[in-house]
Amino acid sequence: MSTEVSPEHSRAATPGPLTPAPAPSAAPNPSAGRESARRSGVHDKGSLMVAVVIGALLIVWAGNNSYRYSLVQTAALYALIGVGVYIPFVMGGSLSLAYAAYASIGGYSVALIASKTSLPVWLGWFIGAAASAVAAVILGQLTRRLAGLYLACITFLFAQAFQSWLNSASGITGGQSGIGGFRATSIFGWVPHHRAQIVMAVVLVIAVGYAVDRMRLSPWGVTLRAMREVPAAVEASGVRVSMLNLVALGFGAAVAALGGSLFTTVTSVVTPGTFTLNLVFLAVFMALLGGQATPWGAIAGAVLIVELTLNVPSLETSGSLLVAIVVLVVMLVAPTGVLGIVNTGRRRLASVVADRRRADTPIDQSDGDSLA
Amino acid sequence: MTAGDVLLSGRGISKRYGGVVAVDSVDVDVAAGEILGLVGPNGAGKTTLVDLICGAQEADAGTLSLQGRPLDGPSSRRAHRGLARTFQHPQLALSLTVAENLQVGRAARRNSRFGRMIVSGLAGIFRTEPADDLRDIETVAAELGITRLERRADALTLGEQRLVEVGRALCQEPLVLLLDEPFAGSDAESLAGIADIIRSVRDRGHGVILVDHNVDLVASLVDRMMLLESGRVAFVGTAEECLASDEMRRVYFGAADDGRDHGVLRRTAEAVTPSNAGPTASGAQVAADA
Amino acid sequence: MDQPQLWVSALTQGSFFGLLGLAYYLVLIGAGFFNIAVGAYASLAGLLTSWLVVEKDFSLWPAIAIALAVTVVVAGATELLVVRPVQRRGRGSELAALVSVTALLFVIAQFAGFEFGYTTLPGQQLLDIEPVQIGGAIITANALIMIVLTFAIFLLLAMLIRTTRAGRLLRAVGDSNPVANMLGLPVHRVRLIAFLLCGLLAGVAGLLFSSQAGVSSSSGLGWAISGFLAVVIGGAGNIIGPLIGGIVLGMLQIFVPYYWGGNATNIVLLVVAAAFFSLRPQGAFAQRVRV
Ligand SMILES: Nc1ncnc2c1ncn2[C@@H]1O[C@H](COP(=O)(O)OP(=O)(O)OP(=O)(O)O)[C@@H](O)[C@H]1O
Ligand SMILES: [Mg+2]
Repeated sequence: MSTEVSPEHSRAATPGPLTPAPAPSAAPNPSAGRESARRSGVHDKGSLMVAVVIGALLIVWAGNNSYRYSLVQTAALYALIGVGVYIPFVMGGSLSLAYAAYASIGGYSVALIASKTSLPVWLGWFIGAAASAVAAVILGQLTRRLAGLYLACITFLFAQAFQSWLNSASGITGGQSGIGGFRATSIFGWVPHHRAQIVMAVVLVIAVGYAVDRMRLSPWGVTLRAMREVPAAVEASGVRVSMLNLVALGFGAAVAALGGSLFTTVTSVVTPGTFTLNLVFLAVFMALLGGQATPWGAIAGAVLIVELTLNVPSLETSGSLLVAIVVLVVMLVAPTGVLGIVNTGRRRLASVVADRRRADTPIDQSDGDSLA
Repeated sequence: MTAGDVLLSGRGISKRYGGVVAVDSVDVDVAAGEILGLVGPNGAGKTTLVDLICGAQEADAGTLSLQGRPLDGPSSRRAHRGLARTFQHPQLALSLTVAENLQVGRAARRNSRFGRMIVSGLAGIFRTEPADDLRDIETVAAELGITRLERRADALTLGEQRLVEVGRALCQEPLVLLLDEPFAGSDAESLAGIADIIRSVRDRGHGVILVDHNVDLVASLVDRMMLLESGRVAFVGTAEECLASDEMRRVYFGAADDGRDHGVLRRTAEAVTPSNAGPTASGAQVAADA
Repeated sequence: MDQPQLWVSALTQGSFFGLLGLAYYLVLIGAGFFNIAVGAYASLAGLLTSWLVVEKDFSLWPAIAIALAVTVVVAGATELLVVRPVQRRGRGSELAALVSVTALLFVIAQFAGFEFGYTTLPGQQLLDIEPVQIGGAIITANALIMIVLTFAIFLLLAMLIRTTRAGRLLRAVGDSNPVANMLGLPVHRVRLIAFLLCGLLAGVAGLLFSSQAGVSSSSGLGWAISGFLAVVIGGAGNIIGPLIGGIVLGMLQIFVPYYWGGNATNIVLLVVAAAFFSLRPQGAFAQRVRV
């Protein structure tokens, strides 16, 4: 025990009294270590595997069908916007409604770089992400002392104003007809086409989902999630919560901008109407629908929403209504979302199996050990 | 840091809520290696004073200094300077695990500025939990006897939540630790554990402000004691002096000469372990009191 | 700004936003909550009336009565089925309540689109009066009703809230729900009444406004934001705040496009909102901060 004490603590006069109850505290320490090891990045591999398998299935399903291509592209766009919303909204508790604008910024910066300059097109992806992040930080800064609806309101107005500006500044943005037919993104001279683009989109979504899931588990994500519940305690621990909130909003905007860049790259055209304001609501609902526990929930929600609103012919006009109703019901009845329900089911099943097994072996009393 | 240096010092701290003067021109000093007990009846202003010191609320008047330098700004800045606190109503993120809640106490060092927050967020993609954080969290948890760090905080009893709050504050490695009723809702065992921790923090040369309603318990732990009444300092002195004072009797029993038996207070005053005695001795005292 | 006709339009729009703001205000003081479903109530009332008249051959007044009744019921359901259960969950419920009501707004908009179609429906002529000419401006019957009714409603409510027991209760409950609960005030009932009144006002506003400008299923969100801005600009410290804010907003909506073109409106709105949020979130005319 005493060998593990940090320098700060080893200054204590007598090591003995430091550990109030030597017997119980010596035993749990190794188990605590094991637990933390398990938390740090092993268990999230499972979701990654599932996502890879589903992604691969989607690619196979899309085949050579161009309609299915467009569905997968749209799902990728929605998924990235959904993950973008997830960071500040689910983890940090800030509702921003400017995600259509952020996606537009990502899209237009790719289009502008490709059509007006001879710079490499991938630069547009970075510029778009950075510009969206800056916009999100400024909007967040304006409302940092105010209740959540103020942020929702100012970001919505920004999205509206941005769309108006895209329409009116035809010298730069091409006005209502937007920008089209520009250079494709090339990677070291290789220009991916159709199938490769779909694969890239799926890979990007999975990579971003995995990255954000790791952020969620990292100390930064832990702090952000704690801030949502107990801002006063996080502030008292030395973290400026208003600033952390801005950073989360910035990250979210950057991810959404990646979605816009991706979509624009694949379709080679962007107009003020490409990313509609309705998308914002769908984006907020994705995480609620899919599940808030991890960003995979937002991605699952995105796929589900694309399926419901675009791919079920019998639902053609009522798809959005169905989505809205389902979201409302989920919010009221099952706040953990679809993945949450699946997870609960899985855990129940696992515990049933475990119970069966445990019935054969005597129960370990020390298992029920609790604090102190 | 040698014991006896004034670490934290406040002068003329005041706060009013509408017509209520919650804290009225209070002077407070905490020396290195000292536990200051803060007692007083409900609504005396103890929590408000802690809030004002930590910056959770803005004082109407008064100045604070830590290690001789002015202490001001938002509570996050004061935390960086070396203040850590617990809350009367535990403020744990209930959907997070115990380990994650403890980790919040370590968060400040990597999220102190805007740029560092961005870096720390991006670094999170590649490295989930830094090893030194893990080690420190586990040390603190072991010190407090907190086990099963993977439990969600909403599965804890109130007493356990307080214990984790103390742990989170300790993870900040503070110069001055402010504890707002850390014993409320604790069983005898964790009570003794927290008492031991408080002493060991003191013995490391840090300062502690301890708020609690259990006057006897506070008296057995602290070096000095401050009695608040309606926001004003009614008495300040050693634990023995404070327990024996007329003010104490007046505040807690209505009047000094009401002819009632103040045996509890007197007996405790006699039984109080001198503050320089070994921690184990007063630990036994605490256990006996509880 | 010497165009009398523009002033009439600004006043009409302003009255509409003011009424929406008033609907917000009631729930805000009664329940401490910005109910952004206000926009949805307004569009629902307008759409339902037009739909009943155009598609179902109802005559105007029964259609209006049905539409208002439905809107009030929906508003009551907002409190009973959405806001109250979500707020009861405790910590962090502010965001959850906001999001649930946003979802409700979306549900109503989508339902309206699904049921009544996604196109803009024409509004209905409310009274058969010839347009009045005042100065150089022509005021249509609908505009006249809108303006007169708005001012009447504001006067009436201001009086009711000041003088009646229900009004004082509303303010007492809004000041602190827990304290009011402890004092034994009928918190639940007062809150419900605030929501019902909110629905009624928003419904009337939507009806009156869509009778001039038409209404579509997607109008709700924009209206919700406008009403909110009216409260923010005018301030929620005083019942007249939303009216003043609404009229300021109405002037922006009319004069900005006239002088700077249609696309400028949204940008000016953003700038004005940003200025208010960062400099004077308590509103231009209020002393008390209530955010
Ligand atoms: N946010 C507030 N608004 C208005 N009055 C307040 C507020 N916080 C505290 N007060 C008042 O200030 C006074 C001091 O309260 P405080 O919570 O500091 O007392 P305390 O000594 O911590 O009491 P307790 O032992 O019950 O925790 C009380 O009269 C209380 O009503
Ligand atoms: Mg207190």
